[in-house]
Amino acid sequence: MSEAAEGVHAAVAHAAHHEAHELPNLITVLRQLFPDASWAKFLHQWENVLFALTAAILISITAIRAARKQRLVPEGIENFSEAVVEGLEAFVKGILGEQGQKYVPYLGTLFIYILLMNWSGLLPLFKSPTSSWGTTLAVALATMVYVQYTGIREQGLGRYLKHIAGNPSNLFGLALIPLMLVINLTVEFLAVPLSLSLRLFANVSSEDRLLYKFAELNVLFKGLPFFFQLFANVLAIAFSVVQAFVFMLLSTVYISLILPHENHEHEQEGRPALHVH
Amino acid sequence: MEFFKANIQLGEVFVQLIAFVIVFWALKLLAWKPLLKGLAARREHIQGQLDAIEQSKKEIGGLKSEYAAHLQKIEEEARLKIQEAVREGRQISREIQDKARAESQAVFEKAKTNLDLETAKARITLRREIADLAVSVSERILKEKMSDSSKQQEKILEIIDDLEKSL
Repeated sequence: MSEAAEGVHAAVAHAAHHEAHELPNLITVLRQLFPDASWAKFLHQWENVLFALTAAILISITAIRAARKQRLVPEGIENFSEAVVEGLEAFVKGILGEQGQKYVPYLGTLFIYILLMNWSGLLPLFKSPTSSWGTTLAVALATMVYVQYTGIREQGLGRYLKHIAGNPSNLFGLALIPLMLVINLTVEFLAVPLSLSLRLFANVSSEDRLLYKFAELNVLFKGLPFFFQLFANVLAIAFSVVQAFVFMLLSTVYISLILPHENHEHEQEGRPALHVH
Repeated sequence: MEFFKANIQLGEVFVQLIAFVIVFWALKLLAWKPLLKGLAARREHIQGQLDAIEQSKKEIGGLKSEYAAHLQKIEEEARLKIQEAVREGRQISREIQDKARAESQAVFEKAKTNLDLETAKARITLRREIADLAVSVSERILKEKMSDSSKQQEKILEIIDDLEKSL
């Protein structure tokens, strides 16, 4: 790539990255106050990571504190954390059956982490790290690796590879192996992370843009559309939950699909199935 | 590709990935495991308590039916004893009646015998007295033989009056 092309790319990237499409956060304010400071530039470059880490630390401290105080009759935050954990456990087991218990920590962490990152954009001087594709892609890649690892662990490498090859059972199936390999590899390793990450990223960044535009309108029309912004905030709160839930639901379904089918079907007997085969 | 390059910073993705994995492992070890274990223990405890309650209910149900059967048995026994007592009472009353009847019969018989004896005694006494009277009358008639017949008749009537007064 030539220097000119690199320059253009850098300019486009910079413009895309720094275009004002979100409400200002603490780091953008610092960046504006200290435009030449290298630390402000560094913080601005890693702002998504910093806000994501803030959410992660908050979740960790709350969850670990709640987990330490285990009593027969829970009180305060224990009640809340146990209600959340029990709800998530019931949801995951509802889809995966009793064997879903071991996937609750991953799927639960995923839900709470994404939800808190989505909501953090609603707080003044904060931003949603999930409005950046980098963040959502990282979480989606982690999910993809986790799902494939679960497939190998639960099915064994041979059956996993057979699953990737489309489970050929006759000559026709064998002939279709190259095609099935391409389709399955594309779906499992490309479509899954892309669909998961883009859906979340697009929704959350759209919410943030909407809130920004309403704030802009409020400035232009002296607070006249305030109630519209309030309504948008309520919608953003609800949609953040929905997006986190959809991410977790799809991850659960991917795990369900990669698990050995006969066991899974056996466990599903006697209750309504939520299969997406 | 420009879109991808503009929106994805590989360094950021990598750091976010590592951060998420660390958070997941930390939470799994320090929060999820104790919380799920605690919930499972509490569920087990509550289930144990519920089972114990159910068992107690069953035991109470068993005791209740046992108690009802026992009560039924006691009532049956009481009824039988009352019936037995009534039967015995009737028997005793019948015996008392029979005994009383026999005693009264004996008293009656005795009284009758006494009466017969007294009657026989009275008859003997009367016979003797009549004999004595007849002798006495005969004596007086013989003494008055010399007087007239009207006088004799008056005398006999007088003697009869005396006899009636003495009786």
